[in-house]
Amino acid sequence: MTRVYLDYNATAPLDPGAADAMVRVAAGAAGNPSSPHAEGRAARRALDEARARVAALVGARADEVVFTGGGTESDNLALLGAVRYLRASHVVISSIEHPAVLAAAERLEADGVSVSRIRPDAHGVVDAGEVIDAIGPRTGLVSIMLANNETGVIQPVAEIARAARSRGALVHTDAVQAAGKMPVDVDDLGVDLLSITAHKFHGPGGIGALVVREGTWVEPLVIGGGQERGLRSGTSPVAMAVGFGVAAEVAREGLDAHAAARGAFTRRFEARLHERLPQVVLHGAAVDRIPGTTSMAVPGVPADALVAALDLDGFAVSAGAACATGAASPSHVLSAMGVDEALIRSTIRVSAGRTSTEDEADALVDALVRITARMPEAAR
Amino acid sequence: MSADTPVRVPPAGERVAVAMSGGVDSAVAASLLARAGADVVGVTLKLWCYGDTDLGDRACCSLSAIDDARRTCDVIGIPHFVLDLESHFGERVIDRFVDDYLAGRTPNPCVLCNQHVKFTALLERVRPMGATWVATGHHARLDPRGANGPELRRGADAGKDQSYALWSVPRDTLRHTLLPVGELSKDAVRAHAHEAGLPVASKAESQDICFVPDGDYGRFVAGRVEVRAPALDPGPIVDVDGRRLGTHAGVARYTVGQRRGLGIAHEEPLYVVAIDADTNTLVAGPRAALARRGFGVNEVNWVSVPGLADERRLGIKIRYRHPGTPGLVRPLGTDRVEVVLENPQDAVSPGQSAVFYDGDLVLGGGVIADRGEVASPAGVDAGGEERGQGASG
Repeated sequence: MTRVYLDYNATAPLDPGAADAMVRVAAGAAGNPSSPHAEGRAARRALDEARARVAALVGARADEVVFTGGGTESDNLALLGAVRYLRASHVVISSIEHPAVLAAAERLEADGVSVSRIRPDAHGVVDAGEVIDAIGPRTGLVSIMLANNETGVIQPVAEIARAARSRGALVHTDAVQAAGKMPVDVDDLGVDLLSITAHKFHGPGGIGALVVREGTWVEPLVIGGGQERGLRSGTSPVAMAVGFGVAAEVAREGLDAHAAARGAFTRRFEARLHERLPQVVLHGAAVDRIPGTTSMAVPGVPADALVAALDLDGFAVSAGAACATGAASPSHVLSAMGVDEALIRSTIRVSAGRTSTEDEADALVDALVRITARMPEAAR
Repeated sequence: MSADTPVRVPPAGERVAVAMSGGVDSAVAASLLARAGADVVGVTLKLWCYGDTDLGDRACCSLSAIDDARRTCDVIGIPHFVLDLESHFGERVIDRFVDDYLAGRTPNPCVLCNQHVKFTALLERVRPMGATWVATGHHARLDPRGANGPELRRGADAGKDQSYALWSVPRDTLRHTLLPVGELSKDAVRAHAHEAGLPVASKAESQDICFVPDGDYGRFVAGRVEVRAPALDPGPIVDVDGRRLGTHAGVARYTVGQRRGLGIAHEEPLYVVAIDADTNTLVAGPRAALARRGFGVNEVNWVSVPGLADERRLGIKIRYRHPGTPGLVRPLGTDRVEVVLENPQDAVSPGQSAVFYDGDLVLGGGVIADRGEVASPAGVDAGGEERGQGASG
């Protein structure tokens, strides 16, 4: 059976160019980038080049890029690191952040920091004004994601950042789902800290970055040899970084074309879906989303069974966000948007990639029609 | 019977979902069906969460049962999915379990799960997946050639027979159910698992109720009660003549037939003879006072026959490990019966299941009524309990 992969927000397959580059580095001469010999210098060169490529994807300077173990670590480092360094007593986040941010905020709360969680509107947009109103003199950090992983809805980060910085608070954005899918520029956004991860745009899993703008400081979580400007100790994973760099460059150079492909898929898919299964409910469809993400519910068809049914028919999609064991947790994002509990339990996420096609969109709609037809009349 | 016995499979073109608990019986059920050429998918039901967190229920997702089922499916070469039936299980099984304990009864949650969740809700849930059949690893047999539809029979391994816990499955659901290991002895199940290289081949059996892993039902019930419940408060222990003997810790913490935990010094051992939840009173008495001959049975489901027209002499099991005892079963309307046993039994606990057998055939079963609901010819009550009755491996 041909497989159609439509779960790019969970992870995107490794770019062949990135894979080749990684193998060359990994199979080549050994060298610790911190070592003073020729092998070390070669590794350092490769690492620097990768860092520059990653930086370029988000408009940062190379020395502002701190390699981490992935998006979760980047988010943890931003929240825990910045607030602890500043000894701040208040942070503002949204209630639709990734668990990496939510859990870090809970940890801060346990340490006595107060946390304001701003809820989104029914479309999944966090109102900039509400965030700004929550910023007070004691606020050390504001962390609002750039695009939500479940709905793809883009948040008004630049507007929030302008106001927050004028009030003396640092701004972090989790750009894990946005990077490589829409233009992301740290200067335009005006943020101090920005998280990305490689595998969401065809880089290797297990490496991400926190962009720490010049003049911003965070307390490290991983300490030791002082690598990554002392912000993330541990021997730098050169091959992984090289793959990250190549993927970042491919994503930057192909940004418009890839976004167009994703957008074409989504427009076709949602239009056909509306024609053939008019009962389907889309979340966040009326506002700006990153191209390629559709959050949708087929009323009466539980998401876990729908994802399984689609898998058996050759389509890989997810129920809300991917969970560690495959069991779907009720989405905190959709709950915060006020979506009805039963609809949440019927919500799946279809996320297209740069190679997704309109034919695949049509085939997915056909499969959804077939699966829905198995349900009793009342559920159709 | 041996592992060579032909395994019944769904008609060509129809898919079967095997409910996989992570244990060896359901693993072998899936393996047998796959080898017989059936279109099989493995599913593990998420029924209960051990560690709720503010971030949802990620903590319980890592339960090893799910991993075991997934690894087993990988070896068999079939897909595996986790299906969330937690809300069904909470409403249909746990809420009733708590209510029953608070009412002084001894519920059988496996029977409720089999009635509402493991078969019926599962069959509905897998429908979008194109599966029109469900299978489990229960040790019981289903004969599809019955005159009135499928007939439920004891499993081939008398020591492992789980037909007692299956009386409650609706007949319409049984028409779409397969029990592939019912023809096998437990030894044959293990042998197949080893031969097939299934990772759970040597896994120990679970006996406790799945959602009370430490076996402390009283604490579980107390933890589920939001408002103060009288059945969890101390109250009087009296003898069969109403004389005060002592104080108990709340009737929900006791079971009819229980001997330990009464804390009374008496010339002969005392047992819980009856529980009156309305007055939060425990009645204690000597073992002889436990014997009971007649009792009512509610919520009767005739699982293999359309019903019972007239009074009939049948074998009656009153708990999972009970060998069965002869008695008369008298229908009182469609879903109630009165039972009169030939030999009084020591262990008739309200809330437990009474299951009616004709030889190997399970005609039906129901829930033993509270004392006094139906005139009791012998006038005395009995108790006893058993756990893990329906746990499908």
